[in-house]
Amino acid sequence: MPDRQTRRWIILALASAAFIALIASTGVWEASLRFLFPQESQVLHPRASLLTLVVEHLGLVGISSSLTILIGVPLGIWVTCPGGRNFLPIVTDLTSFGQTFPPVAVLALAVPMLGFGLVPTVVALFLYGLLPVVRNTIAGLRAVPPHLLDAAYGMGMGRFQALFRVEIPLAARVILAGIRISVIINIGTAMIGAAIGAGGLGSPIIAGLVQDNLAYIIEGAVPAAILAVLADQLLANVEGSFAYMPEEATR
Amino acid sequence: MIKLEQVTKKYGATVAVNGLSLEVNEGEVCVLIGPSGCGKTTTLRMINRLIEPTSGRILVNGKDTSQVKPEQLRRSIGYAIQSVGLFPHLTVATNIATVPELLHWDKTRIARRVEELLTLVGLSPAEYAGKYPSQLSGGEAQRIGVARALAADPPILLMDEPFGAVDPLTRERLQAQFVAIQQELKKTVILVTHDLDEAIRLADLIAIMAAGKLVQYDTPETTLSRPASKFVHDFVGSDRALKRLSRISVESFIKSAPTVTINASIKQAEAAIGSRRSAWVVDDKGQLLGWIDRTDLSQVSSISEGMVTLESKDIALWQNATLREALSRMLGQGFKSIPVVDEDTKLIGEVTLGDVEAATAEAEE
Ligand SMILES: Nc1ncnc2c1ncn2[C@@H]1O[C@H](COP(=O)(O)OP(=O)(O)OP(=O)(O)O)[C@@H](O)[C@H]1O
Ligand SMILES: [Mg+2]
Repeated sequence: MPDRQTRRWIILALASAAFIALIASTGVWEASLRFLFPQESQVLHPRASLLTLVVEHLGLVGISSSLTILIGVPLGIWVTCPGGRNFLPIVTDLTSFGQTFPPVAVLALAVPMLGFGLVPTVVALFLYGLLPVVRNTIAGLRAVPPHLLDAAYGMGMGRFQALFRVEIPLAARVILAGIRISVIINIGTAMIGAAIGAGGLGSPIIAGLVQDNLAYIIEGAVPAAILAVLADQLLANVEGSFAYMPEEATR
Repeated sequence: MIKLEQVTKKYGATVAVNGLSLEVNEGEVCVLIGPSGCGKTTTLRMINRLIEPTSGRILVNGKDTSQVKPEQLRRSIGYAIQSVGLFPHLTVATNIATVPELLHWDKTRIARRVEELLTLVGLSPAEYAGKYPSQLSGGEAQRIGVARALAADPPILLMDEPFGAVDPLTRERLQAQFVAIQQELKKTVILVTHDLDEAIRLADLIAIMAAGKLVQYDTPETTLSRPASKFVHDFVGSDRALKRLSRISVESFIKSAPTVTINASIKQAEAAIGSRRSAWVVDDKGQLLGWIDRTDLSQVSSISEGMVTLESKDIALWQNATLREALSRMLGQGFKSIPVVDEDTKLIGEVTLGDVEAATAEAEE
């Protein structure tokens, strides 16, 4: 019998496979949407196949979330270490601002500068998702008990050794929780990309709104919701398998 | 080995350590003691440069520590911190391996060393190596903390209240273990404690501090018999004679005791007791069961009938115990002699009140 964590990975793999099979089978979608909305002449958005839309969407989320993580986590680490402490207030202010500022407004501002398509969307998503990652990285590192750092330095660890052997492992759970929130927000927010031609699952939704076609909206919304659930589970599993948890250590 | 020269540490207006000079020779145990906030931890942390002194010099092995890279210095000085500070996300084995890993020892050497150290601090490697700190009792965690400090075999050991957070009984055992380990390893140790009895028991030299200053630096014997000031006098208290007894191990006072095995005949028992009042009764493996009075022997048909049973662990002393513990057992139990057992709880002899008195008188001189 595999342990609980292994089981969760297996379940996730099966669910993802089922999801891929489902979005690939256009016929099933068409048939069920037709059944639900017999009055519509068209039930699937003609611009691209559902599979293409999902891949576009994942691309948007993947690029912007990777940027968020690659920049957000080091930024959080930097402002908590002695060298960057002076920048802590300005970084927290800027990242909170990034999240309070509506992504649609970012798009509106970005389009004149960056044009249409992928780039402004990624910029907007990146800024919008930065706060939870930076904030949780700071909170996680701050929560490392000072006496453990004392022990680390007292035994002769250097700054980086203490960071990678003690601080990051102990903060991992909180940091990963921030990443998880950020990615989930991102999957939802990436819908707006369609407004400026970046594609993704937002395309059928916008078309559905414009043409008053509920079937299009469902075509975009349902896969996006499932995607969010799957991503949430994936990151929860990463947390469970790789991050130290205080209560788990006693098992 | 370690030399502090006029070391001062100021925090703004607070003077945590004030012109402290102290020298500890190789293989000696120096115990820093004094009221809370007198600067013990600060002193210790200046030696491994976790804190930089405001003024003064610290020499380790004749070298000014301010000229040595902190990381390098710290890897050669074992440090057991006040709150143990085991890394909760790492196993006991990985915790112990911290410094060897920093020093890039190879895997097999580290594994061997971890096993060695666990055995040294009296924990079974098979059982404990894979545990996490949250699965340890306070006493076990402190022992792992000490093992971790010893891992790379540093010549110097700094220990900040290493036996602080445990019950008195465990503390006593840890102290006895420390004495045994130190006898074997002969490290240069600076140990901080709040507990005068601990200082007296473990120290070669006691450094008494008050408000950042060193007020007396002497052997425990001298500190107890000739306190340098009223402060020290009050600090060591009025029960100095009693305290001195905790410097003396019962080991050299163990006398062979009249002993009978439980299934010996009455005749054999009478022979064993001779003219004495009573004898200890042991089983055929030598484990203490109780005692029997001479006057009872004539009235019973077997030893088990006339024997008074004892709970060995409540009465008997461990052979590493001190005369002070022996005296306290005697007073507590109303016995004039107390049986002594070895690690396997086998009876090896007894200590008598007369001997304790003689030792007290001798120490008084
Ligand atoms: N970082 C700091 N900033 C300001 N004052 C400090 C700092 N560290 C220690 N002190 C002060 O220095 C003095 C000595 O502190 P230290 O920790 O060395 O005491 P201690 O003898 O180890 O006490 P305890 O027995 O309670 O552990 C105390 O008065 C403390 O308030
Ligand atoms: Mg202290």
